[in-house]
Amino acid sequence: MPPTLPNFSNSVKLKYVKRGYQCLVNHLLTFLLIPLMAGILLEVLRVGPEEILNLWSSLQFDLVHVLCSVFLIVIIATIYFMSRPRPIYLVDYSCFKPPYTCRVPFSTFMEHSKLINKDNPKSIEFQMRILERSGLGEETCLPPAIHYIPPTPTMEAARTEAELVIFSAIDNLFNKTGIKAKDIDILVVNCSLFSPTPSLSAMVVNKYKMRSNVRSFNLSGMGCSAGLLSVDLARDLLQVHPNSFALVVSTEIITPNYYRGNNRAMLLPNCLFRMGCAAILLSNRRKDSWRAKYRLVHLVRTHKGADDKAYRCVYEEEDPQGKVGISLSKDLMAIAGEALKSNITTIGPLVLPASEQLLFLFTLIGRKLLDPKRKPYIPDFKQAFDHFCIHAGGRAVIDELQKNLQLSAEHVEASRMALHRFGNTSSSSLWYELAYIEAKGRMKKGDRVWQIAFGSGFKCNSAVWKCNRTIKVPTDSPWLDCIDRYPVHIPEIVKL
Amino acid sequence: MEFLMITAFFLAIPSIISFLIKLIDQWRNHGNCYILHYECFKPSDDRKVNTEFSGNIIKKNKNLGIEEYRFLLRAMVSSGIGEETYAPRNVILGKEESPTLLDGIYEMEEFFYDTLDKLFHRTGVSPSEIDILVVNVSMFSPEPSLAARIINRYKMREDIKVFNISGMGCSASLISIDIVQNIFKSYKKAFAVVVTSESIGPNWYSGNEKSMILVNCLFRSGGCSILLTNNPTLRNRAIFRLKCLVRTHLGANDEAYECAVQKEDGLGRPGFHLSKDLPRAATKAFFENLSVLAPKILPLKDLVQYIVSGSGKGRGEKNRTGPTVKLKNGIDHFCLHTGGKAVINGVGKSLGLTEYDLEPARMTLHRFGNTSASSLWYVLGYMEAKKRLRKGDKVLMISFGAGFKCNSCVWEVMRDLEDENVWRESISSYPPKNLVNPYMEKYGWLMEEDAHETLPRV
Repeated sequence: MPPTLPNFSNSVKLKYVKRGYQCLVNHLLTFLLIPLMAGILLEVLRVGPEEILNLWSSLQFDLVHVLCSVFLIVIIATIYFMSRPRPIYLVDYSCFKPPYTCRVPFSTFMEHSKLINKDNPKSIEFQMRILERSGLGEETCLPPAIHYIPPTPTMEAARTEAELVIFSAIDNLFNKTGIKAKDIDILVVNCSLFSPTPSLSAMVVNKYKMRSNVRSFNLSGMGCSAGLLSVDLARDLLQVHPNSFALVVSTEIITPNYYRGNNRAMLLPNCLFRMGCAAILLSNRRKDSWRAKYRLVHLVRTHKGADDKAYRCVYEEEDPQGKVGISLSKDLMAIAGEALKSNITTIGPLVLPASEQLLFLFTLIGRKLLDPKRKPYIPDFKQAFDHFCIHAGGRAVIDELQKNLQLSAEHVEASRMALHRFGNTSSSSLWYELAYIEAKGRMKKGDRVWQIAFGSGFKCNSAVWKCNRTIKVPTDSPWLDCIDRYPVHIPEIVKL
Repeated sequence: MEFLMITAFFLAIPSIISFLIKLIDQWRNHGNCYILHYECFKPSDDRKVNTEFSGNIIKKNKNLGIEEYRFLLRAMVSSGIGEETYAPRNVILGKEESPTLLDGIYEMEEFFYDTLDKLFHRTGVSPSEIDILVVNVSMFSPEPSLAARIINRYKMREDIKVFNISGMGCSASLISIDIVQNIFKSYKKAFAVVVTSESIGPNWYSGNEKSMILVNCLFRSGGCSILLTNNPTLRNRAIFRLKCLVRTHLGANDEAYECAVQKEDGLGRPGFHLSKDLPRAATKAFFENLSVLAPKILPLKDLVQYIVSGSGKGRGEKNRTGPTVKLKNGIDHFCLHTGGKAVINGVGKSLGLTEYDLEPARMTLHRFGNTSASSLWYVLGYMEAKKRLRKGDKVLMISFGAGFKCNSCVWEVMRDLEDENVWRESISSYPPKNLVNPYMEKYGWLMEEDAHETLPRV
């Protein structure tokens, strides 16, 4: 007997019911006001125009009364406008495009590994298997010092890499926006694994001869989510200092962190982390609202450090031979999922339309009171956002999030393609993904973007941006020369 | 109809008035930053080092010749650092040349857990009430960050705002306060913890470059944890209130930027290089900072005097030592960064300070050494232990750091303070009759002037 097709009619009906429900709840206020307005209109028509005129003239308009009420209205309006938080605009941002000479195709990486790690074929085999499944492409880049055989991770080389990536990104940004270094009031630099004294922020101040009262901050050790942390700090500062520009520089310096040992959990970062940097210009000046690309709507930070397992998930330590490396635990996916759930419960109410929130609430109540076995309702975030930028931590992270949030392939395309073209550039990956969406010409005015980043600690930070003006395909972008080749299909395993 | 209007009017008035009062109150207490308590770290006695011990450690370094040994010993003996300062455990155990990652972590953990436990215990604030955490340790930054380490240990909340500042030198403690102060303006009734320290164990220099070996001998272990709040209802428990904070960054000047740099020597050994231009950069940064700070704290008469004298001296003079500023009219106590005897003397001279004013800094340098970013808090502790801080007094904190930065802030004392804190066991013996290093006679031959040797004054 042929298998019967499932009954589609039921699910189709349900789809329309859901649509109707969403429409109703989201526009509830309008639906309530319409009968009220109709009622008033009917009443007015019934009473007649002369009655209304009589009513109007009977009101005594004393000068004092009028002045008082106008004054009151003005005071309340001023207080209301002044107490609202200042808008934070993202004027523009720029991503570092690594030079072709730093390219590390799979063959180069494997040959390099074989040459420097001759005594450990098992480690080499492991790295090869990781690369095959990593989702990285052939054009990702490593800094020059790592290309040496053996690599030369001196402080000098690390500083050189920092200068290369950071200064290129900032020069590009200054060109694009036309602002001068002397205009910058706040500078936040984040680089997790390299923090010399004087700091990278001092290096930026020195190179660009910034003002002596620039408020500079250098965040370090905060993992791949530090980019959004820096934006959060810049936002808090911009709330306090009017008419200011904030420059946020997110990067990860790879040179000092190439792991030379054999511990598998520590070899993973070698295969995934690549060179990258992003410089972002934020402003709270109202006159930038015409040229700013985005406006920051929400930023939510979640720190799962209190949970021991989450805390040990990304951990820098020495292996038994005394070599320092970053070990990624096997529970990374599960912990990322947990952290995301916490983050969503905070950001959900802020961004989801009322219909989704009510549904979530009802299913929650239903689960608690009636049937605990019922599956939890995952709110439909596609309703709230038009674009998603998920930290390109690795293919598994993107797969997991796509599943958890029930996103389509197009939604995660930016993340996958950024991972393919640039690798895991840590805190700057979100900006490469945003650049991809712009380069594809998909960003229109009013679109909302959700950036999600994970990092050591374990942190999950997310930011919601609203597109301020339709963005034409940018003439300079790290994707300029390759955007036509994308999207590419990334097979499960690339045979090496 | 009229009756309705009148009643509505009378109901509206008190609600409007209360709303306005709330607004004005908010505006007045807007972003006030109070310190509830601070706890400086006193390492255990088995970590004490004296000049002899330090001398022996230097002797162990095979790369140093007799000239370098003599240079270092001279520096230590004349540095103003006493016989009871503290060093990291791995240095005491003789493993200074091969520090491991764990050594660095344990050094920090020992400090965190001791001071934070005491801080939470003394104030009765639970770790889960903390909204903001800022940690600054300049020369050590593992992953996950030291801040995450603290969050894990104390099980702090998920929505905590945490920042881990690194690489910002000896003035980073005031940068952390700056972050807290700014965030306080946007968030009501928040608690913040600032943890400031320096990591010495993993940063031992094992070479023989003169500009880099000095750092090994001058820095000592120490740290401080501070609990701050902007909750106006806790005003009566607060001990200090922040009046203003000024930051100056001279990074744009290449000379200033290069004067304190972490780098590798000719043979690839990492260390911290202090150049001979350091005092000059410090002076420049200091005066620029003062020029912004003075208007905020000086009474009008002195301000006018300062401007007049400043513009007079500034015209085309080669040896510009800068005008002396009588900050004493606006400030009662001075917390100077204990960077070294020369720093304290230099700042004291520029501000026209007496020995009484400089005593807390000198004694801190003697008892605890140069603990980098946290030194200001030990100086503050000395003043408190000596019962100098009375309600309404103003305390000025000045610190210098790599970059080159000069940060300063002014605290107002909220009530008479008498807690002996970290100075409990030593305060009765301070100030000692003489600060001369007891090894002066033993190493007297050091003091003979050498024609071709120039010491950077520290």
